[in-house]
Amino acid sequence: MDFSGFLNNLTPATGFFYFLSFLTILTGLMVVLSKNPIHSVLYLIATFFCLSGHYVLLNAQFLAAVNIIVYAGAIMVLFLFVIMFLNLKQEDEESKTNLTKIAAMVTGGTLFLIFVAVFRKTQFGAFNAYSFDSQVGMVESLGEVLYKDYLLPFELASILFLVAMIGAVMLGRREAGDRHF
Amino acid sequence: MLPIVLLSILGLVVLFLGFQKSKNLLLPATLLVLAIVLVANFLHWNDMPSLYFKNMLFENKFTMAFSGIVIFSAFLIVALTRGFVDDESAQPAEYYTLMLFSLVGAVMMIGFENLIMLFVGIEILSVSMFILTGSDKKNLRSNEAALKYFLMGAFATGIMLFGMALLYGATGSFNLTAIKGYVMANNAPSAMLYVGLLMLLIGMLFKVSAAPFHFWTPDVYDGAPTIFTTYMSTIVKTAGFAAIYRLLSGSFSGIYSFWWMTLAVITVLTLLAGNITAVYQTSFKRMMAYSSISHAGYLLLSLTALTNQSQSAIVFYSLAYSIATISAFGVLMLVAKETGVHSYENAERFEAFNGLGKKNPLLAFVLTVSMLSLAGIPLTAGFWGKFFVFSSAADRGLTWMLVIAILMSTVGIYYYFKAIIAAYMREGELSAIKVSPFYRLILIATTIITLVFGLMPDFLKGLV
Repeated sequence: MDFSGFLNNLTPATGFFYFLSFLTILTGLMVVLSKNPIHSVLYLIATFFCLSGHYVLLNAQFLAAVNIIVYAGAIMVLFLFVIMFLNLKQEDEESKTNLTKIAAMVTGGTLFLIFVAVFRKTQFGAFNAYSFDSQVGMVESLGEVLYKDYLLPFELASILFLVAMIGAVMLGRREAGDRHF
Repeated sequence: MLPIVLLSILGLVVLFLGFQKSKNLLLPATLLVLAIVLVANFLHWNDMPSLYFKNMLFENKFTMAFSGIVIFSAFLIVALTRGFVDDESAQPAEYYTLMLFSLVGAVMMIGFENLIMLFVGIEILSVSMFILTGSDKKNLRSNEAALKYFLMGAFATGIMLFGMALLYGATGSFNLTAIKGYVMANNAPSAMLYVGLLMLLIGMLFKVSAAPFHFWTPDVYDGAPTIFTTYMSTIVKTAGFAAIYRLLSGSFSGIYSFWWMTLAVITVLTLLAGNITAVYQTSFKRMMAYSSISHAGYLLLSLTALTNQSQSAIVFYSLAYSIATISAFGVLMLVAKETGVHSYENAERFEAFNGLGKKNPLLAFVLTVSMLSLAGIPLTAGFWGKFFVFSSAADRGLTWMLVIAILMSTVGIYYYFKAIIAAYMREGELSAIKVSPFYRLILIATTIITLVFGLMPDFLKGLV
């Protein structure tokens, strides 16, 4: 099939999907390739917005909103703060040996190859458009699953956060002889 | 189910006890909590295997035995903390709470029926361990260890989570039984299942420090305060192996032919890396870190075999290994404190034990029994642990692995005997160490348990 025929056959949803995928890959590459760390972070935020678009396409509206609030909002702001604190303006030439670089290339390339092979071989299950519940990704159905089926892990996640909080307070607490900022 | 609920609630109570001026109440309170939980754990011993909370948690004799080992080890280790009274900057309430909460994670890992439970459990356990590793804030090596452990652990968690996502994509469920159903129903499972399983295994093998994912172990175990090294090398390992066993036997026994070779290679690598590197260590604590890697190898051998015997073999081995490790580190802590007064560098080396046998016959005996048990010498629990593990491997016909494992355990005898030789045959200026009666009681108890299980192993083996 030639390219113009491919374009004519696109439904709006698939067209949007391809456009989003293109943007995601482009911004993802820019995160790695840009020299300035601040630019990297900004591209990463753009990547998260694109991913949220994918979530909407997959009928996961709640996840899309949470992704923007938590990742693009909170976590990326932290990233920016840290980068500004560390003051990474000068471009430090990375002191990696060629051996490390080659090893990293081989490992990463192998993993990439495996994933390409796996997803080419995998038969994804078809879905029935008529019996599909379009509300599946909304807060209501999510809450029902969370508070009925997954009640125990949901509650125990609070223990996880409490542990992290205790640790942050314990390790961050100023000792008697510490320097005051 | 009861241990999780009790530990979560009573852990909070211990945390709030920290508001009191006097810290003397914390140690007895934590011990009481652990004793209560230990009893509660075995309340339903004779019940049928059952599922709780909408198929989230599974309980049978195997999981109860494992939870029992973990809680009992925690009890012994907490008893050896002596309330952190000799350290002014210590925060005992937080330490005890983190220990109790980490047990919640361990029990979740042992009894999980849903991969989400496994993930939350592993995270609770790991995050507590990151914090406890770095709890000695003024010690640079402790800081380094915590950061290293955290970064590596975060990566391993990421890989594990990706694996779980792929498993969900392939099977459509997080439930162990549902995954087993999928594996059984499909002659050619989708490739995503294989990749998912491998990534999940990589994450879990990292947590139990199997080679080639073991590089963090020596630095972290060496840098952490010794009491928390003891905690990591016993409880994290035990819970991790229970989790891997439940995963492999519960869901993936149907595709044994796919994963056994991977696990076999990892087992052999772990045995070689752990035992051979341990020979070159001059620090006792670092040697114990490598020895914990090698013991992970023996446990993996039993998992690779995955016969009917494997279950009771890993229960017995974990118990024998935990008890012996606790008494070895218990002696090290006393000796290192005594030697550390003269020279800080020598405190955790083999030389620290020089002359231990003359002035401190009890400590030397405890150390000897624990070393013999770790080396797998007859009349100790460690011998029977190795025996059961090896016989399960022999049942499966893994002769070549068995040969390597036996060779490596003879290498093990060499480095374990270094400590015994230092204690009895070398001259040293070690004076008589004052041991509090309670501490002495715990050390005697671990030694007696090691010897009793060495004399009559059937006592425990018949139970599970």
